[in-house]
Amino acid sequence: MMYAGIDAGSRAIKVVLIGEDGLEVVAKGQVDQGVEQDRLACRLFEKVLADAGVGRSQVRRIIATGYGRNAVSIADTTITEITCHAVGVRQLVPAARTVIDIGGQDSKLVRLDGNGRVRDFAMNDRCAAGTGRFLEVVADRLGLSLGDLGPMAAQSRSPATISSMCVVFAETEIIGLLAAGRACEDIVAGVQTAIAARIVAMAGRNVEAPVIFTGGVARISGMETALQTALGQPVAISPEPQMTGALGAALLARRQQDSY
Amino acid sequence: MSETPRQITLQEWDRGYERLQAAGVSQPTYGGPLGRHVDEGDARLLKLRFDNSPAALRLWNFLLTEEDRLRAARDNGKKLVGAMKDLGTVPVMAYSLDNLVAFYPDGAWWIPCVMEVNSGLLQIADSLGIDESFCPVRAMLGAFVTEAHFPIPDLLTCSVGATCDDFSAIAQRLNGLGYPILWWEIPHRRAPEDNEEGVHLPGGFSAPRGQIEFVKAELERVRIVLQDLAGRSLDDEALARGIVKANRVRELLARLREVVFTATPCPMPALEMLIAEMLAIHFCSDQDETIAVLQKLLDEVHRRVAAGTGYSSVQAARVFWVNPVADLQVMNLLEDCGGRICGTEYLLAHALDPIPPDVPPMEALAQMALADPMVGSAVDRAARIVAEIRRFGAEAVIVSRIPGASHCALEGEILGEIVREECGLPVLEIEVPPLTDAVYPSLRTRLEALVETVANRRSR
Repeated sequence: MMYAGIDAGSRAIKVVLIGEDGLEVVAKGQVDQGVEQDRLACRLFEKVLADAGVGRSQVRRIIATGYGRNAVSIADTTITEITCHAVGVRQLVPAARTVIDIGGQDSKLVRLDGNGRVRDFAMNDRCAAGTGRFLEVVADRLGLSLGDLGPMAAQSRSPATISSMCVVFAETEIIGLLAAGRACEDIVAGVQTAIAARIVAMAGRNVEAPVIFTGGVARISGMETALQTALGQPVAISPEPQMTGALGAALLARRQQDSY
Repeated sequence: MSETPRQITLQEWDRGYERLQAAGVSQPTYGGPLGRHVDEGDARLLKLRFDNSPAALRLWNFLLTEEDRLRAARDNGKKLVGAMKDLGTVPVMAYSLDNLVAFYPDGAWWIPCVMEVNSGLLQIADSLGIDESFCPVRAMLGAFVTEAHFPIPDLLTCSVGATCDDFSAIAQRLNGLGYPILWWEIPHRRAPEDNEEGVHLPGGFSAPRGQIEFVKAELERVRIVLQDLAGRSLDDEALARGIVKANRVRELLARLREVVFTATPCPMPALEMLIAEMLAIHFCSDQDETIAVLQKLLDEVHRRVAAGTGYSSVQAARVFWVNPVADLQVMNLLEDCGGRICGTEYLLAHALDPIPPDVPPMEALAQMALADPMVGSAVDRAARIVAEIRRFGAEAVIVSRIPGASHCALEGEILGEIVREECGLPVLEIEVPPLTDAVYPSLRTRLEALVETVANRRSR
């Protein structure tokens, strides 16, 4: 039998399928999020099953997580992305004590105990300034793709200071920087630094190592360096950072089945 | 009616009210279907779910008819005292005189929340130069201008000094609009130094004798003005009687809190407990009825505990809640997400302690005023919260912030850090604006995650 995790995030839906032993990822898939969240999630799930040659009846339990988790009708139950990321990271990096998850529209810092269980967590408030949305706005304003941001930031010798605490005002600030002739690479690097600063402010003191970085924003190069600088300690990117939540959900589906 | 405890919608309550009437259950003069308050503009009630007991219905109707009582009191020749900021001291003095009724105009901060920002009060405050960079209490200015939510008091008092800057600025603006205010000063509470005589205060704090004497002198000024307004003497004997009555309210609330926070399943939802606790400071403009309302709630809670009924399962996460919320529907969210209330600190902890009965009345009131969490340090406040967390066996803490309230921005982090260090519990900080609709999914995720965290910690 198999178990599935569906992470319905604000930017993408991810599905992970694991086997009975919970050690092997049998199949996985990803699709951009859209208006019809449930239909997109169901179609992705069916595609992942088909690609793996697995029948629906072979999947014993499905857990949905993420921003759109309650819209996933095929899920047996839901669990928050905070718990799921913790479980996913624990599987991939057993020694992890802190998880930083930056997604499309929220960011979280999760503290783990020695057994990988959530000890405490913090999540950004209503502002998007510490999230992937900030990077999207900047990329759009500069006429770049998200994938261009990392290489561009790497060229910066003097990151700009982005002082606005709000994405809308930050965009205005960026327009001002462009008008003042500031190089795009400095602006992008400055935005990465600003996001990292927001995460550190949310974390408060006592961020315990090892720190593992998950979520879609972890795939943008330069962000982990910005976080390392802001935190003053190493930050490692989780293997397949965007899949961590779905993996955690699948693992929890298997655990829940065990407890019945 | 002795139904199984349930949280019901306003429409369900209105149908329930018809059944109550048919069953001949008596209601107070201010009773009636809750739906009528929506007709009067309290649209947010449509988003809430209410406890289904007649005792809770009485609590809500009592809360939502305060304005009627104030106007009736004036019509009956009573004088109205608008006490601002002191949270529980001046009303005790005012209610010691039978021709005075006290209320809190600053409670108007909740009007825009309950009316879904349709009251226009905040826009009036904006037009007076008190914009959204100030505490939501600025809604009070609009209420004074419109005179639509409470009658203009015959006397306004306001404590200043160790109170928030925002509030002082708002009250000064009110003063500038032509409303005279009797200002009285409350100093920042501090521990006595080695060479000073110390006085033990309710709540486990202490202060130098000099601070007590200073506050007593300030309250003596208030006493004189209250006497002048009432046209009769407010002697120590009358004050002592007033303190006994205020302590009756506090005693009922203490018993209610003890039972609700310790019983499993939890016999009363977080929302009704929040409303009940607020009665400790303002009595909803009728002290005797406050006692009757709380007694009914306590009876209902005892009945439920005896019957083994309530809201939460044994597994419900035991959550301690710090600070009141602007949008009341967030309190419903606690039970929705699998939590239960297990201790609270809504900035009025001192008003839940008995006023010391064994010292002269003015000394007792001065001690109580200085025990106010807002006139001491955040570290003091955290110490009391930690003690209460341990007492009630809470497993997690929520610190809610009110946007614009300056004390929230500064205190939340300090309280959180101390609670984490002292109790090792997860602490969730949330910001709750007057209308949470846009951030409701995010708030739900956080509360669900907190409940999951508690469940995981138990499985260690």
